[in-house]
Amino acid sequence: MIKIEHLTKRYGDTLAVDDLDFEVRPGVITGFLGPNGSGKSTTMRVILGLDHPTKGRATVKGQDYASLRAPLHEVGALLDAKAVHPGRTARNHLRALAASNRIPFARVDEVLGFTGIDSVANKKVGNFSLGMSQRLGIAGALLGDPEVLLFDEPVNGLDPEGIRWIRDFFRSLANEGRTVFVSSHLMSEMAVTADQIIVIGRGKLITQGSIDSLTATAKGSVFVRASDHEKLISVLKTHGGDVSEANDEALSVSDLTSDQIGQIAFDADVVLFELTPQRASLEDVFMELTADSVEYGSSGARNER
Amino acid sequence: MNADMSLGSVIRSEWIKFRTVRSTLTGVFVMFILTIGLGALIAWATRSHWQTVSTADQVTFDPVSTSLIGIVFSQFAIGVIGSLLITSEYASGLIRTTLGAVPKRLMLVSGKLVVLIASMFVVTEVACFAAFFVGQSIFSGVVPTASLSSTSVVRAVIFAGLYLTILAVVSFSLGLIVRHSAATIGIFVTIVLILPLISLAIPESWRVHIVKFEPSELGNAMTSVVTPSGDLSASRSLLMLVIYAVVVLGAGALLFQRRDA
Ligand SMILES: Nc1ncnc2c1ncn2[C@@H]1O[C@H](COP(=O)(O)OP(=O)(O)O)[C@@H](O)[C@H]1O
Ligand SMILES: [Mg+2]
Repeated sequence: MIKIEHLTKRYGDTLAVDDLDFEVRPGVITGFLGPNGSGKSTTMRVILGLDHPTKGRATVKGQDYASLRAPLHEVGALLDAKAVHPGRTARNHLRALAASNRIPFARVDEVLGFTGIDSVANKKVGNFSLGMSQRLGIAGALLGDPEVLLFDEPVNGLDPEGIRWIRDFFRSLANEGRTVFVSSHLMSEMAVTADQIIVIGRGKLITQGSIDSLTATAKGSVFVRASDHEKLISVLKTHGGDVSEANDEALSVSDLTSDQIGQIAFDADVVLFELTPQRASLEDVFMELTADSVEYGSSGARNER
Repeated sequence: MNADMSLGSVIRSEWIKFRTVRSTLTGVFVMFILTIGLGALIAWATRSHWQTVSTADQVTFDPVSTSLIGIVFSQFAIGVIGSLLITSEYASGLIRTTLGAVPKRLMLVSGKLVVLIASMFVVTEVACFAAFFVGQSIFSGVVPTASLSSTSVVRAVIFAGLYLTILAVVSFSLGLIVRHSAATIGIFVTIVLILPLISLAIPESWRVHIVKFEPSELGNAMTSVVTPSGDLSASRSLLMLVIYAVVVLGAGALLFQRRDA
C-alpha cells in the first residue's frame, strides 16, 4: 500500500507537486492520471526515495522507501525503460539487480521467461527496441515478487499487441491482491486499464474515485432541437441552464436534466424536436477536470512567483 | 536464510556490474599496455642511450622509478575506469534503477568503493611489478638495476600500484560530484596533468613549497627509492594522497546522499 501525505516537491521555481494527498490500495489497478508535466513522475520518484520531498512524505507499507530492508522484495518499479546500461546484456543487468537484494539467479531466468525476452537475454540492451526494453524493465520490477508495483507511463511507445499484454498483466497482478499503481496522461488508456483513478493537474489532486463514479459526477449535457431556439435559450438560462450551440440547428444544455428542459419548453410554448441526454465520455471528464491545469501548462513547466 | 540487502550483497551486485561492461575491461587492458609497454619502451631507450648520459645523471639514476614511468600515462586509464563506475549510471539513467534496489546511498557508495579499490589494487600491483621486472631485465648488463631484495625497492613498486588505486578513488569521487563522464575526466586530467604545467608559472621560490603537494608529484615521490632533499618522503606522500582522496570522497558521498537522483 502506498500513502502520499501532504506531499510537496519544488525544483527551484517550479512547483512540481503541490500538497498531494492520497492512498493506493491493494487488489486493484490504480491509475494515476494527469496531463504532461502535472507531477506524476515526480510523485513516483519521491515514492521510491529518489527525490527528496520539499514537504510531506510518501510511504510504502507504512515505511519510507529508504528504510525498507530488501526493497525489491517489497516494491517493483519501472520508471524509465531506457534506464539501463546499453552495453550490458539483459541477463547481467537482471543478475546485478537480483544480487543486490539476495535474489537467486534462477529467478532471473524465470522473469526473463515470463516477460518473453529469454531469447535475447544475452544480447546487449542498447540494441533493444522500446517494447523489449519495457519487458526488461518489467522483468526487473518482478524480480523480488513484490506486493507493490509502480509503472510510469508503461504503454508509451508500445505496439497494440504489447499494450494488450501489459493490460492483462496488470490485471493478473491486481487479481493476486497486489497494489498496482500505473501512470498515464491518456484518459482513454486508464479507462480500459484501471479500476480506481487519481487525477492530478499542476501537481494538485483534482479528483479520485472509481471510473464509474467519475463519469457519474461529470457534467452531462442534453442535446436539444426545438422550434424557437432564441426563446428556449432565454428561458433555460433563467432556470439556471448553461446553453451553448451544439451546431447550426441544435443546442447543448447542461446543468438541467432532460425532464426539466422538457417542462421548461412546454411552459414556454416551444416545440421540442429532439431531446437527447448525452453521457459524458471519460475523455470529456478528463478534459473538463484538467482544463485549468493545461491552460497554463501547455509548455510543460510552470513558474510560481 | 537472510534475504536482506546488505553491504555484502551490494558488493556482489556492483562486482557483476563492474565486470560486465566493456569499458572496464578496455580500461584495464589499456592500463596494462601503458604501464608495462611504455615502461619497457623508456627502459629500452635509456639502455640504448646510456653511454651518452652524463656521469652526474648516471649516479642519480633510479632504475625503479624509471621502470615505473608508465604509470604517468596509465593513470588516465585508471581515471576513466573510476569515473565511469558512477557517471555511466547517470548517463543512462541506470542510477535510478540501482537506487531503487539499493536505496541506502552510503551503502551503495561503499559497495562501489570496495569493488573499485579491490579490483584496481590487484590489477595495478600486477602491472607495476610486471613493469618493474620487464624494466630491470631490459637494463640488465648495461644500466644499473634494482632488485626486490631491498625493502625500499619493494615499497616503491607497491606504492606505484597504490598511487593508481587511490587515483581511481579520486576520479570516482569526482564523478559522484560532477555526475557527467566527460566533465569528470576533464577535471581529473586537469588535476594530474594541467596543474603541474600551471605551477611552472609560479616563481621558483614558492614553487618548491607547492609542487611537492601536487598529486603527480606525490606519485613521483612514492615511486622513488631515494627521497630528494626538500621533498616529502614516500610514506608522507602516500598519506597526503590518501587525505586528498578522503576529502573528495567525503564531499562526493555527502552530495550523493543529499541530492535528488
Ligand atoms: N529534476 C527536475 N528539475 C526541475 N524541474 C523538474 C524536474 N523534474 C520535473 N520537473 C518539472 O516538474 C513538473 C512535473 O514534471 P513531471 O513530474 O515529470 O510530470 P509528469 O510525469 O506528470 O509529466 C514539470 O513542470 C517538470 O518540468
Ligand atoms: Mg512523466
